[in-house]
Amino acid sequence: MVRAALAPPRRIGQGPTRFRMLVPAATVVAASLLSALPIVSTSGWYPDFGYMVLISWRLLRADPWPAWWAAPLGLVNDLFTGYPIGFSIALWSATMLALDLIDRRTMWRDYWIEWILAAVFLTIDQVLQWRVAALVGAKVPFSSMLPPIIISICVFPLSAWLISRLDGWRLGR
Amino acid sequence: MATARPGWSRRAQYGLFFSFLAVIGGIIVGLILLALSLVAPKTFENVRGAALDITGPVASALHEVTATASGLVTGAGDYWDAARQNGELKRERRALLQRMVEAKAIIQENQQLKATLQLRQRNQDTIAVGRIVGSSFNSPRRFAILSVGSSAGVQVGMPVRSADGLVGRIIDAGSLSSRILLVSDRANIVPARLLRGGIPVISQGRGDGTLDVRPLEVGRNPFRRGDVIITSGTGGLYPPLVPIARVVKLDDDGAVAIPLADPANISFAIVEPAFEPQAGADEATAGPDAP
Repeated sequence: MVRAALAPPRRIGQGPTRFRMLVPAATVVAASLLSALPIVSTSGWYPDFGYMVLISWRLLRADPWPAWWAAPLGLVNDLFTGYPIGFSIALWSATMLALDLIDRRTMWRDYWIEWILAAVFLTIDQVLQWRVAALVGAKVPFSSMLPPIIISICVFPLSAWLISRLDGWRLGR
Repeated sequence: MATARPGWSRRAQYGLFFSFLAVIGGIIVGLILLALSLVAPKTFENVRGAALDITGPVASALHEVTATASGLVTGAGDYWDAARQNGELKRERRALLQRMVEAKAIIQENQQLKATLQLRQRNQDTIAVGRIVGSSFNSPRRFAILSVGSSAGVQVGMPVRSADGLVGRIIDAGSLSSRILLVSDRANIVPARLLRGGIPVISQGRGDGTLDVRPLEVGRNPFRRGDVIITSGTGGLYPPLVPIARVVKLDDDGAVAIPLADPANISFAIVEPAFEPQAGADEATAGPDAP
Protein backbone atom coordinates (compact mmCIF):
# COMPACT_ATOMS: atom_id res chain seq x y z
CA MET A 1 0.00 0.00 0.00
CA VAL A 2 2.71 2.41 1.06
CA ARG A 3 4.91 1.41 -1.82
CA ALA A 4 2.10 2.11 -4.28
CA ALA A 5 1.64 5.59 -2.78
CA LEU A 6 5.34 6.35 -3.09
CA ALA A 7 5.53 5.17 -6.71
CA PRO A 8 5.68 7.81 -9.44
CA PRO A 9 2.25 8.70 -10.87
CA ARG A 10 1.10 6.38 -13.62
CA ARG A 11 0.78 7.35 -17.19
CA ILE A 12 -2.78 7.54 -18.45
CA GLY A 13 -3.90 4.26 -19.94
CA GLN A 14 -1.25 2.30 -18.10
CA GLY A 15 -2.66 -0.41 -15.92
CA PRO A 16 -2.84 -4.11 -15.37
CA THR A 17 -3.06 -6.19 -18.53
CA ARG A 18 -6.42 -7.72 -19.32
CA PHE A 19 -5.11 -11.30 -19.13
CA ARG A 20 -2.89 -10.70 -16.11
CA MET A 21 -4.15 -13.86 -14.40
CA LEU A 22 -3.13 -16.02 -17.35
CA VAL A 23 0.21 -14.41 -18.23
CA PRO A 24 2.38 -16.47 -15.81
CA ALA A 25 0.94 -19.81 -16.92
CA ALA A 26 1.14 -18.73 -20.57
CA THR A 27 4.85 -17.91 -20.21
CA VAL A 28 5.49 -21.34 -18.70
CA VAL A 29 3.75 -23.00 -21.67
CA ALA A 30 5.74 -20.79 -24.04
CA ALA A 31 8.95 -21.84 -22.31
CA SER A 32 7.99 -25.50 -22.68
CA LEU A 33 7.37 -24.82 -26.37
CA LEU A 34 10.98 -23.64 -26.72
CA SER A 35 11.82 -27.33 -27.12
CA ALA A 36 10.36 -27.01 -30.64
CA LEU A 37 13.33 -24.81 -31.56
CA PRO A 38 15.31 -26.32 -34.42
CA ILE A 39 18.36 -26.97 -32.28
CA VAL A 40 19.93 -30.33 -33.06
CA SER A 41 22.31 -30.96 -30.21
CA THR A 42 24.18 -34.14 -29.43
CA SER A 43 24.91 -33.25 -25.82
CA GLY A 44 21.63 -32.20 -24.17
CA TRP A 45 23.19 -29.39 -22.16
CA TYR A 46 20.38 -26.87 -22.61
CA PRO A 47 18.40 -25.97 -19.48
CA ASP A 48 14.90 -27.24 -18.82
CA PHE A 49 13.23 -23.97 -19.86
CA GLY A 50 9.70 -24.77 -18.62
CA TYR A 51 10.83 -25.71 -15.12
CA MET A 52 13.15 -22.72 -14.91
CA VAL A 53 10.37 -20.28 -15.77
CA LEU A 54 8.03 -22.06 -13.35
CA ILE A 55 10.37 -21.60 -10.38
CA SER A 56 11.22 -18.06 -11.50
CA TRP A 57 7.52 -17.13 -11.20
CA ARG A 58 7.02 -19.05 -7.99
CA LEU A 59 10.04 -17.46 -6.31
CA LEU A 60 8.92 -14.00 -7.41
CA ARG A 61 5.32 -14.40 -6.23
CA ALA A 62 3.54 -16.77 -3.89
CA ASP A 63 0.46 -16.96 -6.10
CA PRO A 64 1.30 -16.65 -9.81
CA TRP A 65 -1.40 -19.30 -10.45
CA PRO A 66 -3.54 -21.59 -8.31
CA ALA A 67 -1.16 -24.23 -7.01
CA TRP A 68 -2.91 -27.14 -8.71
CA TRP A 69 -2.20 -25.61 -12.16
CA ALA A 70 1.31 -27.01 -11.81
CA ALA A 71 -0.02 -30.45 -12.78
CA PRO A 72 -1.57 -29.51 -16.16
CA LEU A 73 1.39 -27.23 -16.91
CA GLY A 74 3.68 -30.17 -16.22
CA LEU A 75 1.65 -32.35 -18.58
CA VAL A 76 2.11 -29.77 -21.35
CA ASN A 77 5.86 -29.74 -20.67
CA ASP A 78 6.04 -33.54 -20.77
CA LEU A 79 4.23 -33.65 -24.09
CA PHE A 80 6.35 -31.01 -25.78
CA THR A 81 9.78 -31.96 -24.44
CA GLY A 82 9.41 -35.72 -24.81
CA TYR A 83 10.00 -36.53 -21.14
CA PRO A 84 8.13 -39.61 -19.91
CA ILE A 85 4.58 -38.47 -19.22
CA GLY A 86 4.04 -37.82 -15.53
CA PHE A 87 7.61 -36.71 -14.80
CA SER A 88 6.96 -32.96 -14.87
CA ILE A 89 3.46 -33.36 -13.44
CA ALA A 90 4.83 -34.94 -10.27
CA LEU A 91 7.97 -32.81 -10.08
CA TRP A 92 6.23 -29.48 -10.65
CA SER A 93 3.44 -30.19 -8.15
CA ALA A 94 6.02 -31.30 -5.60
CA THR A 95 7.98 -28.10 -6.25
CA MET A 96 4.92 -25.94 -5.55
CA LEU A 97 4.33 -27.81 -2.30
CA ALA A 98 8.00 -27.67 -1.27
CA LEU A 99 8.25 -23.94 -1.95
CA ASP A 100 5.11 -23.32 0.12
CA LEU A 101 6.67 -25.19 3.02
CA ILE A 102 9.96 -23.29 2.53
CA ASP A 103 8.04 -19.98 2.50
CA ARG A 104 6.83 -20.75 6.02
CA ARG A 105 10.32 -21.40 7.32
CA THR A 106 12.34 -18.61 5.75
CA MET A 107 12.52 -15.48 7.90
CA TRP A 108 13.79 -13.22 5.14
CA ARG A 109 14.41 -13.46 1.44
CA ASP A 110 17.04 -11.92 -0.72
CA TYR A 111 18.56 -12.56 -4.10
CA TRP A 112 21.14 -15.06 -2.89
CA ILE A 113 18.60 -17.22 -1.08
CA GLU A 114 16.40 -17.30 -4.17
CA TRP A 115 19.33 -18.27 -6.35
CA ILE A 116 20.38 -21.02 -3.94
CA LEU A 117 16.80 -22.32 -3.79
CA ALA A 118 16.59 -22.28 -7.58
CA ALA A 119 19.96 -24.04 -7.83
CA VAL A 120 18.75 -26.77 -5.47
CA PHE A 121 15.53 -27.31 -7.43
CA LEU A 122 17.25 -27.27 -10.83
CA THR A 123 19.78 -29.81 -9.57
CA ILE A 124 16.96 -32.02 -8.26
CA ASP A 125 15.29 -31.77 -11.67
CA GLN A 126 18.43 -32.90 -13.55
CA VAL A 127 19.22 -35.67 -11.07
CA LEU A 128 15.66 -37.02 -11.33
CA GLN A 129 15.85 -36.91 -15.13
CA TRP A 130 19.07 -38.87 -14.87
CA ARG A 131 17.45 -41.44 -12.55
CA VAL A 132 14.38 -41.84 -14.78
CA ALA A 133 16.59 -42.24 -17.86
CA ALA A 134 18.53 -44.93 -16.00
CA LEU A 135 15.25 -46.71 -15.15
CA VAL A 136 14.38 -47.10 -18.84
CA GLY A 137 17.82 -48.38 -19.75
CA ALA A 138 19.69 -45.17 -20.59
CA LYS A 139 22.17 -45.25 -17.72
CA VAL A 140 24.62 -42.45 -18.51
CA PRO A 141 27.47 -41.62 -16.09
CA PHE A 142 26.57 -38.87 -13.63
CA SER A 143 29.52 -36.73 -14.73
CA SER A 144 27.68 -36.11 -18.01
CA MET A 145 24.88 -34.44 -16.01
CA LEU A 146 27.18 -31.85 -14.42
CA PRO A 147 27.38 -29.45 -17.42
CA PRO A 148 23.58 -29.09 -17.76
CA ILE A 149 23.25 -28.56 -13.99
CA ILE A 150 25.89 -25.82 -13.97
CA ILE A 151 24.53 -24.21 -17.13
CA SER A 152 20.96 -24.08 -15.83
CA ILE A 153 22.09 -22.62 -12.48
CA CYS A 154 24.03 -19.93 -14.34
CA VAL A 155 21.11 -19.14 -16.65
CA PHE A 156 18.58 -18.86 -13.82
CA PRO A 157 19.29 -15.16 -12.96
CA LEU A 158 18.53 -14.25 -16.58
CA SER A 159 15.23 -16.08 -16.41
CA ALA A 160 14.39 -14.47 -13.04
CA TRP A 161 15.15 -11.00 -14.45
CA LEU A 162 13.01 -11.62 -17.54
CA ILE A 163 10.13 -12.87 -15.42
CA SER A 164 10.30 -9.88 -13.09
CA ARG A 165 10.15 -7.56 -16.12
CA LEU A 166 7.18 -9.52 -17.44
CA ASP A 167 5.50 -9.27 -14.06
CA GLY A 168 5.93 -5.50 -14.10
CA TRP A 169 4.34 -5.32 -17.56
CA ARG A 170 1.53 -7.67 -16.54
CA LEU A 171 0.59 -5.52 -13.55
CA GLY A 172 1.11 -2.27 -15.41
CA ARG A 173 3.92 -0.93 -13.30
CA MET B 1 -1.47 -20.23 -0.12
CA ALA B 2 1.80 -18.82 0.99
CA THR B 3 0.93 -17.68 4.46
CA ALA B 4 0.58 -20.25 7.18
CA ARG B 5 -2.70 -18.86 8.47
CA PRO B 6 -4.84 -16.72 6.20
CA GLY B 7 -6.59 -14.88 9.05
CA TRP B 8 -9.71 -15.95 10.87
CA SER B 9 -11.83 -16.50 7.79
CA ARG B 10 -13.05 -20.09 7.79
CA ARG B 11 -13.54 -19.88 4.02
CA ALA B 12 -9.93 -18.84 3.43
CA GLN B 13 -8.67 -21.58 5.73
CA TYR B 14 -10.66 -24.23 3.84
CA GLY B 15 -9.44 -22.79 0.55
CA LEU B 16 -5.85 -23.17 1.70
CA PHE B 17 -6.47 -26.71 2.90
CA PHE B 18 -8.12 -27.81 -0.35
CA SER B 19 -5.41 -26.27 -2.48
CA PHE B 20 -2.87 -28.31 -0.50
CA LEU B 21 -4.96 -31.40 -1.17
CA ALA B 22 -5.11 -30.53 -4.89
CA VAL B 23 -1.33 -30.20 -5.09
CA ILE B 24 -0.81 -33.52 -3.32
CA GLY B 25 -3.35 -35.03 -5.73
CA GLY B 26 -1.29 -33.59 -8.61
CA ILE B 27 1.86 -35.26 -7.26
CA ILE B 28 0.08 -38.62 -6.91
CA VAL B 29 -1.46 -38.44 -10.40
CA GLY B 30 1.95 -37.48 -11.81
CA LEU B 31 3.68 -40.40 -10.11
CA ILE B 32 1.02 -42.85 -11.35
CA LEU B 33 1.35 -41.55 -14.93
CA LEU B 34 5.15 -41.68 -14.67
CA ALA B 35 5.03 -45.29 -13.46
CA LEU B 36 2.65 -46.13 -16.31
CA SER B 37 4.83 -44.50 -18.94
CA LEU B 38 7.93 -46.27 -17.59
CA VAL B 39 6.32 -49.69 -17.33
CA ALA B 40 4.05 -49.58 -20.39
CA PRO B 41 5.49 -46.95 -22.76
CA LYS B 42 2.82 -47.58 -25.38
CA THR B 43 0.00 -46.30 -23.14
CA PHE B 44 0.40 -42.70 -24.19
CA GLU B 45 1.37 -43.32 -27.81
CA ASN B 46 -1.56 -41.34 -29.25
CA VAL B 47 -1.19 -38.37 -26.92
CA ARG B 48 2.52 -38.13 -27.62
CA GLY B 49 1.89 -38.40 -31.35
CA ALA B 50 -0.64 -35.56 -31.17
CA ALA B 51 1.82 -33.37 -29.26
CA LEU B 52 4.48 -34.12 -31.86
CA ASP B 53 2.06 -32.95 -34.54
CA ILE B 54 1.81 -29.59 -32.77
CA THR B 55 5.54 -28.98 -32.31
CA GLY B 56 6.86 -30.81 -35.38
CA PRO B 57 5.59 -28.40 -38.07
CA VAL B 58 6.70 -25.41 -35.95
CA ALA B 59 10.18 -26.90 -35.72
CA SER B 60 10.15 -27.65 -39.47
CA ALA B 61 9.24 -24.07 -40.31
CA LEU B 62 11.91 -22.65 -37.97
CA HIS B 63 14.41 -25.13 -39.37
CA GLU B 64 13.79 -23.78 -42.88
CA VAL B 65 14.56 -20.28 -41.62
CA THR B 66 17.81 -21.25 -39.89
CA ALA B 67 18.86 -23.47 -42.79
CA THR B 68 18.35 -20.58 -45.21
CA ALA B 69 20.26 -18.17 -42.98
CA SER B 70 23.20 -20.52 -42.46
CA GLY B 71 23.09 -21.41 -46.16
CA LEU B 72 23.52 -17.74 -47.03
CA VAL B 73 26.52 -17.49 -44.73
CA THR B 74 28.25 -20.64 -46.01
CA GLY B 75 27.30 -19.68 -49.57
CA ALA B 76 29.12 -16.39 -49.19
CA GLY B 77 32.06 -18.27 -47.71
CA ASP B 78 32.17 -20.57 -50.74
CA TYR B 79 32.49 -17.61 -53.11
CA TRP B 80 35.31 -16.27 -50.99
CA ASP B 81 37.80 -18.99 -51.93
CA ALA B 82 36.15 -20.38 -55.03
CA ALA B 83 39.39 -20.82 -56.96
CA ARG B 84 41.04 -23.01 -54.33
CA GLN B 85 37.86 -25.07 -53.92
CA ASN B 86 37.61 -25.50 -57.66
CA GLY B 87 41.09 -26.95 -57.85
CA GLU B 88 40.40 -29.23 -54.92
CA LEU B 89 37.15 -30.49 -56.43
CA LYS B 90 38.81 -31.22 -59.76
CA ARG B 91 41.46 -33.28 -58.00
CA GLU B 92 38.79 -35.12 -56.03
CA ARG B 93 36.80 -35.79 -59.19
CA ARG B 94 39.77 -37.39 -60.91
CA ALA B 95 40.36 -39.64 -57.90
CA LEU B 96 36.68 -40.54 -57.66
CA LEU B 97 36.43 -41.47 -61.34
CA GLN B 98 39.20 -43.98 -60.84
CA ARG B 99 37.47 -45.39 -57.74
CA MET B 100 34.17 -45.57 -59.61
CA VAL B 101 35.60 -47.79 -62.32
CA GLU B 102 37.01 -50.08 -59.65
CA ALA B 103 33.64 -50.12 -57.85
CA LYS B 104 31.81 -51.01 -61.07
CA ALA B 105 34.11 -53.94 -61.59
CA ILE B 106 33.51 -55.06 -58.01
CA ILE B 107 29.73 -54.78 -58.42
CA GLN B 108 29.86 -56.93 -61.54
CA GLU B 109 31.98 -59.52 -59.80
CA ASN B 110 29.61 -59.42 -56.82
CA GLN B 111 26.61 -60.01 -59.05
CA GLN B 112 28.26 -63.00 -60.65
CA LEU B 113 29.16 -64.43 -57.24
CA LYS B 114 25.62 -63.90 -55.96
CA ALA B 115 24.20 -65.55 -59.04
CA THR B 116 26.39 -68.59 -58.48
CA LEU B 117 25.42 -68.73 -54.81
CA GLN B 118 21.75 -68.11 -55.72
CA LEU B 119 21.39 -65.48 -53.01
CA ARG B 120 18.21 -63.52 -53.16
CA GLN B 121 18.73 -59.85 -52.52
CA ARG B 122 16.15 -58.33 -50.27
CA ASN B 123 14.59 -55.26 -51.79
CA GLN B 124 14.96 -52.34 -49.40
CA ASP B 125 12.33 -49.76 -50.20
CA THR B 126 12.33 -46.29 -48.81
CA ILE B 127 9.24 -45.52 -46.75
CA ALA B 128 9.73 -41.78 -46.46
CA VAL B 129 12.38 -39.10 -46.62
CA GLY B 130 12.43 -36.24 -44.15
CA ARG B 131 14.58 -33.69 -42.42
CA ILE B 132 15.78 -33.72 -38.84
CA VAL B 133 14.27 -30.54 -37.44
CA GLY B 134 14.80 -30.74 -33.70
CA SER B 135 16.24 -32.70 -30.81
CA SER B 136 15.91 -33.33 -27.09
CA PHE B 137 18.47 -30.68 -26.27
CA ASN B 138 17.48 -30.44 -22.59
CA SER B 139 17.45 -34.07 -21.56
CA PRO B 140 19.96 -36.86 -20.94
CA ARG B 141 18.17 -38.90 -23.62
CA ARG B 142 19.09 -38.46 -27.29
CA PHE B 143 15.98 -38.03 -29.40
CA ALA B 144 15.52 -36.16 -32.66
CA ILE B 145 12.39 -34.89 -34.38
CA LEU B 146 11.86 -36.01 -37.96
CA SER B 147 9.63 -33.98 -40.28
CA VAL B 148 7.63 -36.94 -41.63
CA GLY B 149 5.03 -38.96 -39.76
CA SER B 150 2.52 -41.76 -40.08
CA SER B 151 0.72 -39.98 -42.93
CA ALA B 152 3.84 -40.78 -44.98
CA GLY B 153 3.84 -44.37 -43.77
CA VAL B 154 6.27 -44.01 -40.87
CA GLN B 155 5.68 -46.49 -38.06
CA VAL B 156 7.22 -47.07 -34.66
CA GLY B 157 10.29 -49.30 -34.86
CA MET B 158 11.42 -48.42 -38.38
CA PRO B 159 15.15 -47.75 -38.86
CA VAL B 160 16.26 -44.31 -40.01
CA ARG B 161 19.45 -43.72 -41.96
CA SER B 162 21.08 -41.00 -44.00
CA ALA B 163 23.51 -41.12 -46.87
CA ASP B 164 26.36 -41.10 -44.33
CA GLY B 165 25.15 -43.83 -42.02
CA LEU B 166 22.66 -45.07 -39.47
CA VAL B 167 20.74 -42.37 -37.57
CA GLY B 168 18.48 -44.38 -35.27
CA ARG B 169 14.96 -45.73 -35.17
CA ILE B 170 11.45 -44.33 -34.80
CA ILE B 171 9.98 -44.47 -31.29
CA ASP B 172 7.01 -42.06 -31.54
CA ALA B 173 5.03 -41.40 -34.70
CA GLY B 174 2.58 -38.53 -35.04
CA SER B 175 0.76 -38.08 -38.31
CA LEU B 176 2.97 -35.15 -39.41
CA SER B 177 6.23 -35.79 -37.60
CA SER B 178 7.95 -38.47 -35.60
CA ARG B 179 10.58 -38.92 -32.91
CA ILE B 180 13.82 -40.84 -33.50
CA LEU B 181 15.83 -42.66 -30.86
CA LEU B 182 19.34 -41.74 -32.04
CA VAL B 183 22.15 -44.30 -32.06
CA SER B 184 23.92 -42.10 -29.51
CA ASP B 185 21.16 -42.66 -26.91
CA ARG B 186 22.22 -44.88 -24.04
CA ALA B 187 19.20 -47.16 -24.52
CA ASN B 188 19.89 -47.76 -28.21
CA ILE B 189 21.88 -50.96 -28.61
CA VAL B 190 22.81 -51.85 -32.19
CA PRO B 191 24.22 -55.25 -33.16
CA ALA B 192 27.17 -54.45 -35.39
CA ARG B 193 30.46 -55.68 -36.71
CA LEU B 194 33.83 -54.32 -37.67
CA LEU B 195 34.14 -53.54 -41.37
CA ARG B 196 37.74 -54.77 -41.20
CA GLY B 197 37.57 -58.48 -40.42
CA GLY B 198 33.87 -58.67 -39.60
CA ILE B 199 34.32 -59.26 -35.86
CA PRO B 200 30.85 -59.01 -34.21
CA VAL B 201 30.53 -56.08 -31.82
CA ILE B 202 27.79 -54.27 -29.89
CA SER B 203 27.32 -50.53 -30.23
CA GLN B 204 25.64 -48.56 -27.45
CA GLY B 205 25.19 -44.80 -27.19
CA ARG B 206 26.89 -42.80 -24.46
CA GLY B 207 24.32 -40.03 -24.29
CA ASP B 208 26.80 -37.33 -25.35
CA GLY B 209 26.88 -37.86 -29.09
CA THR B 210 29.42 -40.69 -29.07
CA LEU B 211 29.11 -44.48 -28.97
CA ASP B 212 30.59 -47.28 -26.90
CA VAL B 213 31.59 -50.26 -29.00
CA ARG B 214 32.40 -53.58 -27.36
CA PRO B 215 33.38 -56.91 -28.92
CA LEU B 216 30.94 -59.76 -28.31
CA GLU B 217 33.79 -62.06 -27.38
CA VAL B 218 35.68 -60.96 -24.32
CA GLY B 219 39.41 -60.96 -24.61
CA ARG B 220 41.63 -59.15 -27.03
CA ASN B 221 40.55 -55.64 -27.94
CA PRO B 222 39.99 -55.86 -31.71
CA PHE B 223 39.63 -52.14 -32.35
CA ARG B 224 42.03 -49.74 -33.96
CA ARG B 225 41.67 -46.02 -34.36
CA GLY B 226 39.83 -45.19 -37.58
CA ASP B 227 37.98 -48.51 -37.74
CA VAL B 228 34.51 -48.30 -39.28
CA ILE B 229 31.60 -50.07 -37.53
CA ILE B 230 28.71 -51.33 -39.68
CA THR B 231 25.39 -52.91 -38.73
CA SER B 232 25.28 -56.70 -38.80
CA GLY B 233 21.52 -57.06 -39.27
CA THR B 234 21.28 -59.41 -36.28
CA GLY B 235 17.95 -59.05 -34.52
CA GLY B 236 16.30 -57.96 -37.73
CA LEU B 237 15.60 -54.38 -36.71
CA TYR B 238 18.37 -52.62 -38.59
CA PRO B 239 19.36 -53.60 -42.14
CA PRO B 240 22.87 -55.04 -42.45
CA LEU B 241 25.88 -53.24 -43.95
CA VAL B 242 24.84 -49.72 -42.93
CA PRO B 243 27.85 -47.79 -41.61
CA ILE B 244 27.37 -46.58 -38.03
CA ALA B 245 30.49 -44.99 -36.62
CA ARG B 246 34.24 -44.53 -36.74
CA VAL B 247 36.45 -45.48 -33.80
CA VAL B 248 38.30 -42.51 -32.31
CA LYS B 249 39.58 -43.73 -28.95
CA LEU B 250 40.42 -47.09 -27.43
CA ASP B 251 39.66 -47.98 -23.83
CA ASP B 252 40.40 -51.12 -21.83
CA ASP B 253 37.81 -53.51 -23.25
CA GLY B 254 36.32 -51.61 -26.17
CA ALA B 255 36.41 -48.28 -27.90
CA VAL B 256 34.67 -44.94 -28.25
CA ALA B 257 33.30 -44.15 -31.69
CA ILE B 258 31.73 -41.12 -33.34
CA PRO B 259 28.59 -41.66 -35.45
CA LEU B 260 29.18 -41.14 -39.15
CA ALA B 261 25.75 -39.53 -39.56
CA ASP B 262 25.82 -36.36 -37.46
CA PRO B 263 22.13 -35.54 -36.86
CA ALA B 264 22.94 -31.82 -36.84
CA ASN B 265 24.44 -31.90 -40.32
CA ILE B 266 22.61 -34.51 -42.38
CA SER B 267 20.35 -32.97 -44.97
CA PHE B 268 17.92 -35.85 -45.43
CA ALA B 269 17.00 -38.80 -43.27
CA ILE B 270 15.57 -41.89 -44.95
CA VAL B 271 13.03 -44.06 -43.15
CA GLU B 272 13.25 -47.70 -44.18
CA PRO B 273 11.00 -50.64 -43.32
CA ALA B 274 12.16 -52.83 -40.45
CA PHE B 275 14.62 -55.30 -41.97
CA GLU B 276 12.55 -58.27 -40.87
CA PRO B 277 8.94 -57.17 -40.38
CA GLN B 278 8.54 -59.48 -37.37
CA ALA B 279 11.19 -57.55 -35.44
CA GLY B 280 9.40 -54.28 -36.09
CA ALA B 281 6.13 -55.78 -34.84
CA ASP B 282 7.79 -57.01 -31.65
CA GLU B 283 9.25 -53.58 -31.11
CA ALA B 284 5.82 -51.98 -31.52
CA THR B 285 4.14 -54.24 -28.98
CA ALA B 286 6.86 -54.69 -26.36
CA GLY B 287 9.11 -51.65 -26.77
CA PRO B 288 11.26 -52.25 -23.68
CA ASP B 289 13.40 -49.18 -24.22
CA ALA B 290 11.01 -46.59 -25.55
CA PRO B 291 10.63 -43.59 -23.21
